[in-house]
Amino acid sequence: MRICNFCSTFAAAFDQTTMSNLLEIHNLHASIGGKEILKGVDLTIREGEVHAIMGPNGAGKSTLSAVLTGNPAYEVTEGTVLLHGKDLLSMEPEIRAREGVFLSFQYPVEIPGVSMVNFMRTAVNEKRAYEGKPALSAKYFLALMREKNKLVEMADKLNNRSVNEGFSGGEKKKNEIFQMAMLEPCLSILDETDSGLDIDALRIVAEGVNRLKTPQNASIVITHYQRLLDYIVPDFVHVLADGKIVKTGDKTLALELEKTGYDFLNE
Amino acid sequence: MNNLTIHSGETFEQVFLNEPSVDLHIVQEAGSHVKIHVLNWRADGSNDAQATNRIAVEQQGEGCSTEIYALAYLNGQQQVTTETRVTHAVGGGTSDQLIKFVLDEESKGRFVGELKIEQDAQKVEAHQTNRNILLSETAEMRTQPQLEIYADDVKATHGASTGQLDDTALFYMQQRGIGAQKARQLLVGAFIKDVLVTIGEDNNALRERLLNAVDGIIE
Repeated sequence: MRICNFCSTFAAAFDQTTMSNLLEIHNLHASIGGKEILKGVDLTIREGEVHAIMGPNGAGKSTLSAVLTGNPAYEVTEGTVLLHGKDLLSMEPEIRAREGVFLSFQYPVEIPGVSMVNFMRTAVNEKRAYEGKPALSAKYFLALMREKNKLVEMADKLNNRSVNEGFSGGEKKKNEIFQMAMLEPCLSILDETDSGLDIDALRIVAEGVNRLKTPQNASIVITHYQRLLDYIVPDFVHVLADGKIVKTGDKTLALELEKTGYDFLNE
Repeated sequence: MNNLTIHSGETFEQVFLNEPSVDLHIVQEAGSHVKIHVLNWRADGSNDAQATNRIAVEQQGEGCSTEIYALAYLNGQQQVTTETRVTHAVGGGTSDQLIKFVLDEESKGRFVGELKIEQDAQKVEAHQTNRNILLSETAEMRTQPQLEIYADDVKATHGASTGQLDDTALFYMQQRGIGAQKARQLLVGAFIKDVLVTIGEDNNALRERLLNAVDGIIE
């Protein structure tokens, strides 16, 4: 059977540029307090992909996650970011979240007096309202929470405690992935999720992330160390240095970096 | 001014809600207990309501406990002044004070807290905490803690802070899809409930009504 060349070429091009592009970052520049941190980041992420971002301290890794989620401390000075073709940078932080952008915080925030149940129910129902869906009943919601608690081996008694208050380092990181499971984002950004975790907690957190993977969603895994990438295997590894992506490879690049470090940047 | 003596072993517990003026002078005899809540609640008040609360408690007998909770949640041009004076004349007693103001728009709050532990009042444990949140740039809070401690063997703490809502907590909530306004309401609600939950069993219905009212603000 012959396939029209034009059609197949067109279909392939169409497929690559629009259909499956979840996130498109073009020439992104951002600063904090007048100091430029991101100096022209380009990155395209398609559905189903896992991208690792590695790089030395101060390269701008956490700035990238802050800018994508709309942290008001940072100012975008140039560039565009499209999420499913929509202008992400013009959206308020809560709208970005409801559109499916989720950040697993490097330092999860304690909120005294606001219970996990109340926090999570508000978040889930605000997202549902945004999508035109009815609120979940209290009974169904609690059952859903318990089900998702199990995914990260998180004790369900934590549901009645204030958000992150008095949680151990491991519990806080499990709580981030638990929230990710509740909100079912299309784009998860894991910012140094491995920092401060012992090997058991790391395995549990990583398995939780892997089980949440679908052909439609994608993850950005920001990390310093190869260790996490033994558990969450990336399709692409990018090296961010001095505010730009300077090298991209497959998972073997992470292993290489583990051996050689970032000295090649200075060559 | 209301002068009251709480006799040995007795308990005095009262909630004052939206009184334009509270003026109490209480003397506690040995082993008596006092628990007072003073709540100035904007939802029930007029735009320019003013209130003054003066609460003086003297522990004249050993082994007394005193708890004073004050909460003012104000907007418009409302003004509330709360003055407390807790005196430990003899030892072995405890006192706890939690004073909170939430000030929006052009409202003004003032807290003067005197805590005195006299020379012979050993083994006293006294805590005074004042926390205030300013929700607008035009709201104003003045706070004057005054501690006079003449005894050596006591445990006394005090802390006062005035600030805005926690930006990092607000962003965290927004990142989970909670709208900015709702996030602020949740944080204010938590700050207020912290005082309301201390209302005792005798005033169950009132406590539940007020907690629900806070949820009403949140919903």
